[in-house]
Amino acid sequence: MSAAVLPVRPGIPADSRLRFSGILRSEWIKLTSLRSTLWSLLTIILVGIGLSFVLALTMESAGVPDEPSVRFTLSIVAIGAACGQFVAAVLGVLAISGEYSTKMVQSTLAAVPSRLPVLAAKAMVLLGLVTAVGLVTLFGSWAATYAMFDDLGLAVSLAEPGLAGALLGAALFLGLTATFALGVGAILRSAAGGVAAVLGVLLLLPLALSLLGNSMEWVAAVTPYGFAAAGESMWSIPAGPAAGSPVPGTPLTPGAGGLVVLAWTTMSLVLGALTLRGRDA
Amino acid sequence: MIHAQTLTKRFGSRTAVDGIDFTVRPGQVTGLLGPNGAGKSSTMRMIVGLDRPTRGEVKVNGRAYREHRAPLREVGVLLDAKAAHPGRTARKHLLALAATHGIEAARVREVIELAGLESAADRRAGSFSLGMGQRLGIAAALLGDPATVILDEPVNGLDPEGVLWVRTLLRTLAAEGRTVLLSSHLMSEMAQTADHLIVLGRGRVLADAPLRDLIDGATASAVRVRTPQLSRLASAITGHGITVTTLDDGAALVMGMSPEHIGNAAAAAGVPLYEVAAVAGSLEDAYMSITADEAEYRSLTTTAHKERS
Repeated sequence: MSAAVLPVRPGIPADSRLRFSGILRSEWIKLTSLRSTLWSLLTIILVGIGLSFVLALTMESAGVPDEPSVRFTLSIVAIGAACGQFVAAVLGVLAISGEYSTKMVQSTLAAVPSRLPVLAAKAMVLLGLVTAVGLVTLFGSWAATYAMFDDLGLAVSLAEPGLAGALLGAALFLGLTATFALGVGAILRSAAGGVAAVLGVLLLLPLALSLLGNSMEWVAAVTPYGFAAAGESMWSIPAGPAAGSPVPGTPLTPGAGGLVVLAWTTMSLVLGALTLRGRDA
Repeated sequence: MIHAQTLTKRFGSRTAVDGIDFTVRPGQVTGLLGPNGAGKSSTMRMIVGLDRPTRGEVKVNGRAYREHRAPLREVGVLLDAKAAHPGRTARKHLLALAATHGIEAARVREVIELAGLESAADRRAGSFSLGMGQRLGIAAALLGDPATVILDEPVNGLDPEGVLWVRTLLRTLAAEGRTVLLSSHLMSEMAQTADHLIVLGRGRVLADAPLRDLIDGATASAVRVRTPQLSRLASAITGHGITVTTLDDGAALVMGMSPEHIGNAAAAAGVPLYEVAAVAGSLEDAYMSITADEAEYRSLTTTAHKERS
C-alpha cells in the first residue's frame, strides 16, 4: 500500500497507538471535565454528610439506645449511601447517554473503533471515582457526627467490629450503582429512558416486590436478591456474631449482598456491551 | 488509500448505499458529490466503522478501519461539527481524544493553533458557532497527523476566510501525499478544491473521474459567436448535431463545432465575426447532465443551485 511517509510531529510519540491505559485516561479526562460530574459528586458528599449531621443533631429526641451500638450508628452515618445512590445512578446513565445525545460518541468511536474498551474504561473510571467519593462521604459522616455521639456516650470507633466494613460496603455500593447505571445507559442510549429504568430498579422494583411478597411466597423469597435490597445488606450488620451469619430479614451476608450487586452490574454491562458492539453508532 | 467493494447499507427498506465500488487515492483531493440523501455520509460512516455495511466492505490502507493499531494515525475524520460534548472545553475534548493514542498535550496545542482556536480553546464547545465547531472538528481530525483525512461538509457554516483556509489546508494535505476525501453538495466549492470526483445519486456511483474529464465529458463544447449576419452564419455551418442558439445579448451559442471550424466556415461564406470564444463547461452543467437521468434529482439539483447563489 502506498501509505504516505509522514514526518515526525512534536507531541506524537513514535509508538503512538491505541492502548487500554490511554483509553482509561481519556475516559478520566472526559468524566472529570464536565461540570455536571463535579456537581453530582459534590452533591453526594454534601447531602450525605449534611443529612447525617442533621440526624445526629436530633437523635436524642428521636430516641437513642442505652449503650454504643454499631447498628444505630450506621442508621445515621450510612444515610449518604441511601440518598447518594440516586445521584450515582444518574451520573452513570449520563456517562454514556450524554455521548449519544451530543454526538460525542462519533468522535469517541472513531478514535476507538473496537468500541468495547470504551465501555470497560468508563466502568472502571466510574467505579473508582464514585467509590472514592462514597468513602469520603461515609467516613466523613462518621467523623462529622463523632462528637455528638460522644456527648451522649454512644461513640463507636472505627475499630469496632463491623463499622468500617459496613462503611466500605456502602461506598462500594455507590460505585457499583453508578456502574450498573452505565450499563443500562449503554443499552437504552437515552438519558430519560436510562434514568427512568435505573430509578425503577432502585425504587419501584423493591416496592412492587414487597407488595406482591405479602401474597406470594416465591416473590418474598427473591426480594432480598433485588439490586437495592442486596445493596442494603452490604452496609448492614449480620444478626449473629458468627462469621457467615446473614443480615436480619435476609438470607444474605454483607459479602453475599455485594456479590449479588456485582452480578446485577455485570449483567447490565454485558448487555450494554452487546448493544454497543452490535448497533450502528 | 480507501477501497470500497460492493459497499451496501440498508436502513429497513431504504437503501442508502447501493453496492458501490470506488477507490480513493493518495496525493489528491477526492470529492464525494451528491444531493442530501445520496449516501455520502453513510459511506463515510462505514469507512470509519460507525455504521456496519449490510453487504460488501471498505478498507483503509488494506485493512478494515477497526483493525488498525493506531486508528487516529491512520484516518482523521470530521463527520459532524457538533460531535463534541457541549459542556466540555475544546481543549479537554481534544485532550481526551488524544489520550486514547498516547498523543501529548503539545500536539493538542499545535492543532488548536492550526485551526485558529487559541482564543476559544478554554471555552465550552456548547458556546461555539457552527463555524467554530467545524474548526474544532478539523482540529480533532488532524490530531493523529493521519495519512487519510475524511471531512463531511467541512465548509458548512464557515466564513469566507474559513472556507479559504479549509481549501488551502486540504490542498496542502493532498500535496503532502495524503489521501483526502471531502464531501459537499456545494459544487462551486468542489470545483475549486477537488482533483477527482465521485458523484453519488440514490446510493449509486453516477460518475467517478478526474474533475476536468468529468466536466469535459459531460458538457458539450459550446462556442460563443457574435456576428451581424447570424442567419447567414447559421446556414453556413449547418450539419448533423450542430445547434445555434441566440443569446439575450445578441450573441449566439454554437454547439457541436469547434471555434476553428466556425471561423473557417465564416471566412468561406464571407461572414464577419466580432467574437469567437470557446465556453468551458462548468461542474454544475456536468452535474446536471450526469444526474439528468435520475428524474428524482431534478428538484434536488435546483436546490443545490439556490444554495450556491
